[in-house]
Amino acid sequence: MDKFWTVAKREYLERVRTKWFLITTILAPLLFGGIVLLPVWFNTRGRPSADVSRILVLDASHSGLGQRIAKELNGGLFGDTSLTHLVAVAPGALARAESTATQEVMHNSVEGYLAIGPDVLTSLHMQYAGRNASSAVDMDALERTVRNQLMALRLERAGVERSQAAALSTLKLTLDADRITDKGRGGSGTVNSIFAFIVAFVLYIAIFLYGQNVLRGVVEEKQSHVAEVVVSSISATKLLWGKVIGVGAVGLTQLLISVAASMLIVNARRPILHALGLPQLPFELPHLGLGAAVLLIVFFLLGYLFYSALFAAVGAMVNTEHEAQQVQLPVAMLLVMSAVFIQPVMMAPESALARFLSVFPFSSPIMMPLRLSLLSLPTFDIVLSLLALVAGCYIAVGIAAKIYRTGLLMYGKRPTLREVVRWVRAAE
Amino acid sequence: MAEPAVQIRNIAKQFATHQAVRDLSLTVPRGTVYGLLGPNGAGKTTTIRMLLNIIAPDSGSITVLGQPHTSEGVLDRVGYLPEERGLYKKMEVRRVLRFLAELKGVRRKVADPRITDWLERLGLTTPEKDWGEAKVDELSRGMQQKVQFIGTLLHDPELVILDEPFSGLDPINAQALKDAVVDLKREGRTVIFSTHLMENAERMCDAVCIIAHGEKVLDGPVSAVKAEAGDRRVALDLGGGATNGVAEILNDPSLVYRMDDSNHSFEIELAAGADAQQLLSRLVAAGACIQRFELVQPSLHQIFLERVGAAGAVEEGLTGNG
Repeated sequence: MDKFWTVAKREYLERVRTKWFLITTILAPLLFGGIVLLPVWFNTRGRPSADVSRILVLDASHSGLGQRIAKELNGGLFGDTSLTHLVAVAPGALARAESTATQEVMHNSVEGYLAIGPDVLTSLHMQYAGRNASSAVDMDALERTVRNQLMALRLERAGVERSQAAALSTLKLTLDADRITDKGRGGSGTVNSIFAFIVAFVLYIAIFLYGQNVLRGVVEEKQSHVAEVVVSSISATKLLWGKVIGVGAVGLTQLLISVAASMLIVNARRPILHALGLPQLPFELPHLGLGAAVLLIVFFLLGYLFYSALFAAVGAMVNTEHEAQQVQLPVAMLLVMSAVFIQPVMMAPESALARFLSVFPFSSPIMMPLRLSLLSLPTFDIVLSLLALVAGCYIAVGIAAKIYRTGLLMYGKRPTLREVVRWVRAAE
Repeated sequence: MAEPAVQIRNIAKQFATHQAVRDLSLTVPRGTVYGLLGPNGAGKTTTIRMLLNIIAPDSGSITVLGQPHTSEGVLDRVGYLPEERGLYKKMEVRRVLRFLAELKGVRRKVADPRITDWLERLGLTTPEKDWGEAKVDELSRGMQQKVQFIGTLLHDPELVILDEPFSGLDPINAQALKDAVVDLKREGRTVIFSTHLMENAERMCDAVCIIAHGEKVLDGPVSAVKAEAGDRRVALDLGGGATNGVAEILNDPSLVYRMDDSNHSFEIELAAGADAQQLLSRLVAAGACIQRFELVQPSLHQIFLERVGAAGAVEEGLTGNG
């Protein structure tokens, strides 16, 4: 057995044996499951609350509009008339009625009030004030009701028969946005972008987490002086590889457990949702094929390799974990920048910026999987991104190994940037 | 065996602007205890690190146990105890030791019984407590040193290299270490240790190499080194210290060339042309209370001071990286 496996084995087993590993491995799938089930929960919460109806309608228009709205909000002809109250107001007294209504809202006797001005039919302007004014769902429902009633009223005034006007104005329009890819319809667009976001975010977290793990491992070996004993038995380069691969294997283990558990939850979602008393998912979950899954893993591994090599180099440059926190900042910033660009890239996944970020090795491990989840990209783009990342890894690992080899046994003053450059240049 | 344990030929190493080692050659015969002596910053640790292929020399060649030190597996026959000792703090003692053994190519099945033996031998496993199950950072400093020492020897090395092994040891552990070194030699192993403490080296080493400023000052078997330094030395112990008359004699340049004054004891190097009898009779005539007057070989400490100079001993590195 090559000695570097001895190192990798130690890194792996010592981490897997910790409570930290156990906790995060259990928590991650729960988080995943939560993310899958959360939309359903939000969906059930997504109906307007009864608060929409617990309001006052102050009608100064004397057009009958207020009455129509109140009736509709109360649930139609046979609805509960105790909810929405109509107050007819003289045209000049609307302001005073509003301040009275404000008092009532403040005393919690109603949720809010809708003020209809005298010239509503021409101005098409109304005012709502209430405690639930910031609830998008409630406001949507209110607006829909008001719009429908206003339209019906206008139709009637234009000579359309009353029953016909009601039928014409009551539009319950829903727009379902489905995503179409090369492989056909790919489920809901919104769900897909949520999924893409999760993929990018999980990659970002995983690369950061395990990169930091390598950094801490290097600092520990240096600070405790174990490094010198170890490099008397194995070359520093092999030690670096053993460490990176051992920690990477921990990451891969955790990722595979998470993905497997999430798939299990997704596949068993019907009984789970049923048991929780929640309605079934109103949308199709995105389908993750084997090829795409492998590609995601490859991007994770390469991205991890790239960043962990850089973090290891940082670890070899410093003496304490405290120092490491400062020196790692440039490396960490590059990773954080990638996360910052997740949102813009999601908005415009085909933009020049998005294309650049998915080839640039510092961000491609996060951006390429993100775009892959949003779009179907030509094979050429994927291969280009992978090649650039592999080349990036090659360079990063080469530079990191040189810094690591020299820095590992250097104690005392932190090297200047110029010294580090010299370490890298010094041929061995 | 004819071939030496270590043969170093003309190695040199430069760090940035600092020449750590220049043109150093030395030979360590098998089965000996070899001392690498020199002040802090002399290049001892750098030499040892090059020997262990931790850093590469800029020039020169190194042979270990008959093979180039870079050849596959040869360093698996060498045990190394660095000056700055350390272990993985959060790891179980037994697991650390197993890891160190595996790094030297010892299989777990072979390593485990050896670990058990060593832990018992050094008192780390007692009927009440098995420290092998504990994590490293639960152990006292002394116990950690023992664990590290076990780690150095688990793979049954033919050559053992100890860098400043006495630094930070209390007298009891220092004595235990001396005994261990003697045991290692008795078992036929070669031991190289570096130190700046000449007393230890003088008592333990068969041969030494003194280096200063990265250069060899002298080397060879301790007896030869001493003989070469000459025997025109007198060890003098006085009861009651030196009176004025005695001090005058000792400061007479026609008699005494150099003197190491330790209040009641003096190590005296006679001046050219002077002889010991002459000195003795002058001292007796001056009424000195002589407790000891002996013709001696110089101590390594004396030789070291003479050759390196008192200034060289304190100059440069207090870095501990020498």
